[in-house]
Formats: sequence, C-alpha cells, structure tokens
Amino acid sequence: MTQQQKILCPVCGGPVPIFNKDRINRCEYCAAPMLGSSQNRDCVNHKGTLAKEVCHICGDLLCEKCEEKRVGEYGGKLLTIVNCSKEACVTESSWAKPLNEEYLELVNMDWSDRMDNLILRITGLGAIIMMVFELIFFLGMLYFQYLTPWSVPAFTYFGLPEWITTPINILLLSIVGNLLAAILLQSALQVYVHERQLGAGVTLLVILVIEVAHLLFRGLLFGLLGLPNPVFLPMLLGAFLFGTLLVFIGSLMAMYVGNKKRKQFKDARVKLNLSV
Amino acid sequence: MTFGIFGIIATIGLLIATIDGTLGSIGYIYTLLIFGGVAFPCLAIGYYVDDFRRWAVMSQILYSFIAVALSALLIYVQGLSYSWTFPLFGAENFEIAIGNVAAFIIASQTVIILYLVIRADRVLPPKGVKVVRELTPAGLAEIGEIPTPMDPALLASDGMTTLTPGEEKKILDVRRVVTEEGMAILCSNCGGATPLSKTKDDNTVDCDYCGVVLGVSSVFVPCENHGEYLAATTCNVCGNHFCRQCLTVQEPPVDKKWEASAIYLCRKCFEGRYRPAVTTASLVIPIDNLFTSAGGRFARVGSMYRSFLGVYGNAMKHLWRLPLELLASIGKSGGGGGGSGDSCAGAILLIIIIIIAIPLLAGVLMLLGAIIIIPILFYAGLVAVTIEAAKIISRTDFVSVDSARVKSLVMKRRMKATESKLRPAVRSWDDSYRSEQLKREWERRRQESFRQDYQRTQRERARQRAESFWGSG
Repeated sequence: MTQQQKILCPVCGGPVPIFNKDRINRCEYCAAPMLGSSQNRDCVNHKGTLAKEVCHICGDLLCEKCEEKRVGEYGGKLLTIVNCSKEACVTESSWAKPLNEEYLELVNMDWSDRMDNLILRITGLGAIIMMVFELIFFLGMLYFQYLTPWSVPAFTYFGLPEWITTPINILLLSIVGNLLAAILLQSALQVYVHERQLGAGVTLLVILVIEVAHLLFRGLLFGLLGLPNPVFLPMLLGAFLFGTLLVFIGSLMAMYVGNKKRKQFKDARVKLNLSV
Repeated sequence: MTFGIFGIIATIGLLIATIDGTLGSIGYIYTLLIFGGVAFPCLAIGYYVDDFRRWAVMSQILYSFIAVALSALLIYVQGLSYSWTFPLFGAENFEIAIGNVAAFIIASQTVIILYLVIRADRVLPPKGVKVVRELTPAGLAEIGEIPTPMDPALLASDGMTTLTPGEEKKILDVRRVVTEEGMAILCSNCGGATPLSKTKDDNTVDCDYCGVVLGVSSVFVPCENHGEYLAATTCNVCGNHFCRQCLTVQEPPVDKKWEASAIYLCRKCFEGRYRPAVTTASLVIPIDNLFTSAGGRFARVGSMYRSFLGVYGNAMKHLWRLPLELLASIGKSGGGGGGSGDSCAGAILLIIIIIIAIPLLAGVLMLLGAIIIIPILFYAGLVAVTIEAAKIISRTDFVSVDSARVKSLVMKRRMKATESKLRPAVRSWDDSYRSEQLKREWERRRQESFRQDYQRTQRERARQRAESFWGSG
C-alpha cells in the first residue's frame, strides 16, 4: 500500500484512520468497526476461537461465550448492543436491558415468514383494489352526474335545494367509502405485524362487511341499476367482488396464523413464568 | 408546461369537432383561441415560468379573466344545458355537458383570481430571489438522501480521486459480484466481490476491480443470508451480521449521543418483524393527517375570506365617499320632486351591492372552490398513500446499501432516502412528536437560562441599591 492510499470502510466507503494497530478502528463516517493492521481475529479471552462480536464500549473482540447482548431504547428505537464482562463496560451498557435469549427462542416466528408474505400480498392486493375501486367510483359518479344527462335521484333534506344536496351526498358517501377502504388497507398492512395479525384479520372481516353494506346502500340511493352505460357498473362490480374475495381469504388466513402465534406467545410466557 | 400539453390536446379535440361539423364555424375561432391563448404560450414559456414568476402570476390572472369571459359568453349564447355528443369507438355516444364544464371553469378560475389577488404577497416571489429551475437540485434541497460519504462517482485505487466516465464504465462492465474462491468481501466503491483469501497481513484487501484498499470487518462471520459473503457489519436493531446487499441505511436518531452518522437495518428489522423482549412495529396510514390537512385547508379558505374582508373593508373606507357624496347630492336636490326617489333607490342599491353582495359573492365562490379543490387534494393524498402501500406489499421499499451505491453510480446522482411514510416505527426518532419534544426541551432550557440571568441581574441591582443606601465605603 502506498502512502497516498486511503483505507475505505467496506460498509459505507468512508475513510478508516488506523490509529490502533492491535485494536479495532472505527470508520470516520458510519463508525463500523475494522480490524487494526496487526490485530488477531480471535476472542481476547479464548485464543484460537474466532471472534464473533465486538464490545461496543472497549472494542474487544469476543466469542459467543464472552459476549452479553442487550436491547435498549435509543433515540426512540430498540437497538441491540454487545458488551464484554468488564465492570466498566457492563456499567456503561446498563441503559440497555440484557436480552432474554430463551424467550427470544420461544417466540421465534421465522416459521411464518412465507405464510405472512402470502397473506400480506393477498390482503394488500385486495385492499388496493378496493381503494382504486373507491376512487374510480367517485370519479365515475361525478362524470355521470355532471357530464352526462343521467343524474342520481333527487334526495333533499333540511330544506336545502337539490343542487346543494346532490353533490354533498355524492361527496360525503364517497369519502366514507374511501375512509373504509383506507382502514381496510391499513388493516391489510397490519397482518404483517406478528402481534397484530389476529386483530387485523378480525378487523378486515368486520370492515369488509361494512364496506359491502355501504356499497349496496350507495348503489340503491344513487339508482345505479338505471345507469345507461352498460360497461361501468359490471366492471366496477367485478373489481369489487375480486377485491372482496381477496380480502376475505386473506383475513381468514391472518386469523388462523395470528391465532397460532398468540398461542405461541402465551405458551412461551407460561413456560418462563412470565405474566401472561 | 402541463397546461400547454392540455392546451394542445384541447386544440386537437376542438379541431376534430369543428371539422366533424359538431361546432360549426365558431369552432375554428375557439381552436385558434385555445392554441394561441393557452397551448403555445404555456409550451413556449413553461420551462422558464419560474424565472418570470411575477409575470406568470399576472398572466395567470389575465388568462383566468379571459377564461371566465369566454365561458360566460358560451353560457350566455348557448345556455347552461348545452351539451356535445361524440361517437365513442362507434359503440355508443359520449355526451359531455359543455354548459356545466363552462360553469365549472367560471367557478374555478374565479377562485384562482381571488386567491392570487388576495395572497399576492405570498405567490409573488421577493425581488432578487434565486430560482433553481432544474428538478434535481431543487428536489435535493427538500428531500433527504441516503446517508453516504461517497460521491456518485467511482473512486480510483488511491481512494480519493475519481475516475473518468470511460474508466468507470470499464470497471463496472468487468466487475463480478460472485467469486469461485470461497467467501468474498463486497467492495463499497464498485460493488465487486474480492475473495477473502486475498486479505493482506495488515488486515486490508485490495479490490480486484477498482483497486481501492478496503478495511476488513472486525469479525469473520458470514452474512446471515449470503454464506458466500463476509458480513460487512451488524444490523443495529437485531445485532445479526449482514453483507451490503442485506442492509439498508438511515439517518441516525436525533439523539446527540449517537456517534455514527448511520443506522444499519436488515430487511426483517426494517419491516418491523424482529421480536426481541419488546417490540414496537406498526404500519400506520396517516388517515388522520389527510383529514386534518383537508380540515386545515377549509380553515385556510376561511382565513383567506377574512383577509379578503379586511382588504375589502380598507378599500371601502376610500370608496365610501362616492356613494355618500351621491346620497348627499340627492338629499340636496330632494326638494325639487320628480325622479329623486328612483335616484335614491339606485344609490341605496349601489351601497347594498358594494357592502353586502360583493363580499357575500366572494365567500360563496370561495366555498364552491374549496368544495371542488379540497376533495381533489384529499383524493391526491389517498392516491399517494395507496402507492406507498403498494411499495410495501411488493416489498420494493427496501433499498440496500449495495443497490443504492450501484444506482447512484449509474444515475450519477446521490440516492434519495425513500423510506415509506407508512413505517413510522422504522424511523421512530424522526417523528414529529420527538422533534417537538426536543424543541420543547430546548425552549425549557432557554427559559431556565433566561430566568437565571434575570435573577442574577435582580440580585445585582439589589446589591447596588443596598450599597448606594449604606455607602460603598
């Protein structure tokens, strides 16, 4: 290596000044640890055992036997840190709680990764179809009401004239429809969160029923069966049914998998004598 | 520019309708007006519109006046129920209620005129302001970038100077991301894979492709997902080891104790699926924000109306004289009899129009405009949320450190930080509550410091008073 060459961080590409030859050095930019120029890669306490972690306080290389993992809230986020058994390092790391490895093992949810991906895609696609459906429904209603001779049946209240109540009816009912679709989409995303999967599945089913009822109500109120356009209504209904079917299937799957996870959480806590 | 494109579309449509005979000979005049008044000027000056923003605002007001006048003329001549029928793919007729479209134009353009006039102090840029016309630098000023110390250019083997585009292309063309010699280290400069067997005694590796010297990660552990790569570093949330292809990077917390300039996250933690002792993961669609902002916009329309009334009231102070003088002259000529009653009624009508009808009409127009524009903005928000959700569902919102570097090299610009707004738990330090909390803390400290200064000054004054009373000797 020539004098002019800089050592770059293999993570971010920032410069790594080598101050310590036999200890770790940190990237100037991202603070990722790098080996010193003459540093051994073994654990400081067990020669011949390749190190697997670095103490975040003193920078010593540690094997699995010597490391202690902790989880702590830092800047509003849960971060994992590793410290060695030196008193100073333990004290410095005390802002984080030691990681309960046994509990972590018992509540490991990796088994559901593939299934959760599938559920997220099914419910998500269904909810997006519903969202798009609601947007097209609103635009379609505006088009048919104001740009064609067809109009929704007159429905007045509070003694207000029809030219005020009609757009308000269309707007308010469409916003309610969009709100339901947004809640549906929100719940569809929540099925990917372990703790919320069961609840999200139930919510999806409930909101789906309300959404269907709301659509039927709007259809009857607006007299959509009398729409002169032969394409718009069947196309919308087809999209709506497809979206409904996807959300329905996804919600059932979410409830099934979510319930299994709930039992797993409960069993883990019972096994470790933690409060259920 | 967009107006110009719409203008061209409208011109073509009008021309077809005129040739088709639907519009009659007046169609040619409309075609010419739309082309000359909208399409051509907008396309010609669209790109430079920010440079001439003052003129653009005034032109917009003029244009809106013309649009209102033309639409009003159309309604006056043809009536509100006037409509056109077009053949649609030969299957059925496509009918457009042109009278209603004209009414919409009148309402919307009137709102635009009122808005531009009332908010002139805001819509007109201050004199001497520098306009950044190109989208890229203008966008970068507002949107954060993925944290990286590297410019969007390939570094030479010295790790400092940048390569020419030709040399860069040569390296990117030949570099490989896999090796046949066991575990490899991925280069943070070019992304190429160099076998670990080439590690030198000083714990550095020369990249096989670009030649930069890479430090070796502190632990010799393979990536959790790619056994063929040495882990670059650990995920800050779960603590597991990953390569550059499996980590994304974010700005660090607002917390000043954080020494590094980056937070690395694996996909699992980015998606909030890691479950240590406790977890806080959620995907939240900001529905409440959409409604709040829609409500806020209605409130802004209300405040605009209030401002309008204020300006209107001030203007009326000066305009009062005219009707009052008129009334006075009527009063003086009152004794003469015949016709003075009509003049008086006319003057009163004029006053009523000035005082009541104009502000009321402005209010109604603003409300109508708000009813049209605010739902459009609300729906635009919903569309943006849907697109974000689609990214999450297709799992394309995770941008790895490696792919961000390659993209920045190819696109020759720094990559934007495109974390989804629907994942607040991923950037919990970024939320408004936290920043507000920091601001409050800063304000509390400032007030505390002010209070201490005040008390010190008071004590000093009391001491001086005591000294002057008892004498300093």
